[in-house]
Amino acid sequence: MTLRKLKELIRKEILVLLRDRQTIPILFIMPVALIFFLSLALQGVYTEKITGQKISIVIETAGRSPKSSLLEKKISAHQLIQRVERPKGFDNNRLFESGKAHAVIYIPDGFENGIKPVEMEFDPVLDAGYKAAVRSLLTSVTASVVMGIDDIEAMTSSFIVEKTKKNKSLPGPLQQSVPGWSIFAMFFIAVPMSIGFLREKNDGTLQRLFTYPVGANLIILGKLIPYYLINLIQFALMLCVGVWIMPLVIKIPYTLGANPWHLVPVTIVVASASTGFGVVIAALARSPEQSSALASTGAVLMAAFGGIMVPHAVMPLVMKKLAMISPMYWAHQAYLDVFLRDAEFNSVLPKLAVLTIFALVCFYVAGRKVKWM
Amino acid sequence: MNALEISQITFSYNSAVKSAGGETEYALRDFSMSVESGGIHALLGPNGAGKTTLMRLITGQLRGYQGNIHVYGNKNDDKDALTCIGYAPQPISVYTSLTARENLRIFGIMAGLSETLVKERSNAVLVETGLLPYAQKRVTTYSGGMLRRLNLAVALLHSPRLLLLDEPTVGVDPQSRNHIYETLTKMNASGMAIVLCTHIMDEAQRMCSKVTMLDRGAVIFSGDMNKIDNLEKFFLERTGRGLRDD
Repeated sequence: MTLRKLKELIRKEILVLLRDRQTIPILFIMPVALIFFLSLALQGVYTEKITGQKISIVIETAGRSPKSSLLEKKISAHQLIQRVERPKGFDNNRLFESGKAHAVIYIPDGFENGIKPVEMEFDPVLDAGYKAAVRSLLTSVTASVVMGIDDIEAMTSSFIVEKTKKNKSLPGPLQQSVPGWSIFAMFFIAVPMSIGFLREKNDGTLQRLFTYPVGANLIILGKLIPYYLINLIQFALMLCVGVWIMPLVIKIPYTLGANPWHLVPVTIVVASASTGFGVVIAALARSPEQSSALASTGAVLMAAFGGIMVPHAVMPLVMKKLAMISPMYWAHQAYLDVFLRDAEFNSVLPKLAVLTIFALVCFYVAGRKVKWM
Repeated sequence: MNALEISQITFSYNSAVKSAGGETEYALRDFSMSVESGGIHALLGPNGAGKTTLMRLITGQLRGYQGNIHVYGNKNDDKDALTCIGYAPQPISVYTSLTARENLRIFGIMAGLSETLVKERSNAVLVETGLLPYAQKRVTTYSGGMLRRLNLAVALLHSPRLLLLDEPTVGVDPQSRNHIYETLTKMNASGMAIVLCTHIMDEAQRMCSKVTMLDRGAVIFSGDMNKIDNLEKFFLERTGRGLRDD
């Protein structure tokens, strides 16, 4: 009988939700839209940070000497450089403003004799790091041409060696946005959840249920379970969008990491935390309007702090520490452990523990604040 | 055995004030009332007298009172007592995005009715309240009178032995009001005890055999209805003509 009553309470809640034409689209369309548009908007940022962006450069040479040709060829062939032609009638300013090139290199005749130097002009807004890289490249290539050294990098390779490890801190655009905005949507469920609770309280249907021989805990469970299930469906849907649809749009693949099954416990715990957030808002707020404001503001702040809107890896140190107060930070890091770091489950576990504690605290506070019952 | 036995109930909402050493304001003070099995008992009082508070205490929504409340011999928060009680609150407490039948199903299962009984009783109460033709329509489409009748239907669904009605005909047209009276009379004739909370004096005088009047949480009169000539006049004499806005 208890199970039957629980089933009926869940069924009722789902029916009410399905007949709310605004809530269901918001819960599913919003995160898809966020993933889509923000992945597109930020793909350049991530590409620069991770794979490096080619600099489009106009290379012009007045010299006819073999060394002029060699210098022109070596600069053009470098992996950092994408040579472009100057459109007719474009001076340097127009070139930079139009975005057709980021720099212009002019090789004068006789540069190898020191008569006239090689000139370089950059787009003033070009990233300082890229300017430094191009300057350094031009310096070393010019030196190698002038000194007659075929491959200066090969010459110095016994003096310098690179030991950079595989990137495990800065996520790609989909690794950042798919779990990030999924988490945001899951926590955003606090808005319809708390509004629904308070509306039932204000309507009197919640109090009416308490006049029947059915426990308060069962009634609350009957309200929580549908939202928990929606959280799980939300994540599954977002993952499908991230794995199968977004790579077709932004041409960057999205892999699930070496241990994809870790997603199951992570999602179960994250959904518990987000449901807990919803129920504590319902307990603390006094009206549906108040709960809507509290839930949405809370979700946005947690996302801002927690590395959803700006990747945690690029935050200044003080923000990185502050991020830890946001449960979304722990959720996002748990997902990055799976997608980015190929972490063992032992590494994911502490994050899940924090989220579980958060969920338990929320349920405890909500249970104590029985006024709304 | 009486359907409802309330003995020396004292209840205050502001227990926080009490614990801080402030003066306690009581919603009900030393309140007692008995409702006979099969009787219709009017519960009258000005606004803020404590009628709705009493209803909520009887149905177990409020706790922390002193005294005793028994329903057919069972303590009011006992499962057996809760299954005896049908309650139609003053605010229309149904799920507006669901249909009448869906509403009845939920509350029927909460009352512990089997699947078969939920269907049978749903049809029966829908017929009784004149809502059968509209059973599959969403409650948002209902008129005020239909909503009140559905509110009553939910209370009647599990065939309660004691029916508590808090202003069952407020805001309702004469046709719906008449229909409700007829339904209640029929239910009472089959043995259901009814406690009727209302401000409509002629409704109370017509339907009820007993009356309890309360004011500021205390009983000011309790007795037979047939001993009162003009209930409204009697009520105003006992409670005064001044407004009750505090």
